[in-house]
Amino acid sequence: MEFLELLNFYIIPGLVLGSIYALGAVGITLVFAILRYAHLAHGDIATLGAFVAFAAVTLLGLPVYAALPVAMVVTAFAAVGIDKLFYDYLRERPRIVTVMASLGVALMVRSLVQVIWGVDAESYIRGIARPENWWGIRLKDREIVTILTMIGLVLALQLFLMKTKWGKAMRAMSDNPNLALLSGVDNGKVVFLTWLIVGGLCAASGFFLGLNTELKSMMGWQMLLPMFAAAILGGVGRIEGAVLGGLIVGVAEEVSVIFIPSEYKAAMAFVILLLMLLLRPTGLLRGKVL
Amino acid sequence: MSPLLDMREVRGGYGDADILQGVSLNVAPGEIVAIVGPNGAGKSTAMKAIFGLLHVRGGKITIDGKDITGLKPNLIVQAGVCYVPQVDNIFREMTVHENLEMGAFLRSGDQTRAYDRVYGLFPDLKERRKTLAGNLSGGQRQMVAMGRALMLDPKVLLLDEPTAGLSPRYMEQIFQICRDVRDDGVALLLVEQHAKQALAFSDRGYVLASGANRHEGTGAELLADREVAEMFLGG
Repeated sequence: MEFLELLNFYIIPGLVLGSIYALGAVGITLVFAILRYAHLAHGDIATLGAFVAFAAVTLLGLPVYAALPVAMVVTAFAAVGIDKLFYDYLRERPRIVTVMASLGVALMVRSLVQVIWGVDAESYIRGIARPENWWGIRLKDREIVTILTMIGLVLALQLFLMKTKWGKAMRAMSDNPNLALLSGVDNGKVVFLTWLIVGGLCAASGFFLGLNTELKSMMGWQMLLPMFAAAILGGVGRIEGAVLGGLIVGVAEEVSVIFIPSEYKAAMAFVILLLMLLLRPTGLLRGKVL
Repeated sequence: MSPLLDMREVRGGYGDADILQGVSLNVAPGEIVAIVGPNGAGKSTAMKAIFGLLHVRGGKITIDGKDITGLKPNLIVQAGVCYVPQVDNIFREMTVHENLEMGAFLRSGDQTRAYDRVYGLFPDLKERRKTLAGNLSGGQRQMVAMGRALMLDPKVLLLDEPTAGLSPRYMEQIFQICRDVRDDGVALLLVEQHAKQALAFSDRGYVLASGANRHEGTGAELLADREVAEMFLGG
């Protein structure tokens, strides 16, 4: 197989899919680092974000890309609301209780999406997008936007965590919760900020999946496993690790089609997850939490 | 001189049982005071009682005459008492400077003076301000932990076993740092497992046993006391 063919048909779609996974995996890693539990409603909140953007396009008549910030803000507050309603009062209980509750939230959010928007596939734009040809490399505009937006959002998040007072408070809470509390950090505010960020990233993840494929009520749930695989692959608690993990899982899924039937490509995430847990459970970049 | 920190007949514990059966101690300005005693004597518990980390059922704790008994830790910090836990007392994944920033989290405005003071006390840390605290040596980590607590400009610093797990060389270094901190105008109360060394360098000491006062006096007096020597200092 020619190099360009490999690039155009496997690597580039893999990086696009990987960027979508990365946005979700960063959120999973943040929740794990600060709140210390696996959040199973992550994929379905991404679905919610994708459909909120769909509503902004169809009901408000917004251009597709203008629907992204709207969806991010709405979903961010939806995530804060879900935390207040379902997770907040379980905080003193064993973590596994919250993990189970998040599975329930996943089912509720998905059902809500199905009740409002139905179970049929939808899309933001009708018609087929033709890729532009850049010296033999075929890229669609939406693919470029997906990758660049992912990079931009992750850089903004890193800047926030490294440079601002409350970003540092979030890192402190992840690093040593007791000492953070002794230092006077308000845990409630850290939790609020975490969900705001995680909800926004979820929406972006769902939006770009919908933009590059189509909108379905199961789309987020099906992303849950690859997103977890990405977070663990990169080392739980590491933002840059989640991005790297997302890209690797995305590319591995697309490239696997060369060797195995495409119906099985979703199993790649599972294989990666198993291998990592067996060989290097702390992840490629040594995870902070696990 | 009237005591800065005064703890009178304090009783209390984590659950229903009283670990402290009436502990009294005080710290005057500019003093280093050590609490020593055998395992399970309630040394660390007495310190946690001051910092509001356990249920105090009797007695009274004051700082500068102000009652702080049973207050929440953040209010006790504002009253001028800072606490350095024995373990997990730094943010490992944050730089030395960020650790100090977290110490001053509740402070607003310019903190230049606070940083200058801490870096003045610990020149080692100034050189390593961009290093992750988790990559430092044991002694340097203890400096970070103390520096973080000093950012709030406390009147009294509580140190829970600052030399635990450190080599003798670092132990001497930490004791020297304690003297420097005292000379900088902060009184220190510390719990120590290394009773002999701690009493030798402290101004005064308290020997606790079974959750109550057993002996008290200057470091030299306690070291010279036969009973103390036999009971707690290994002859």
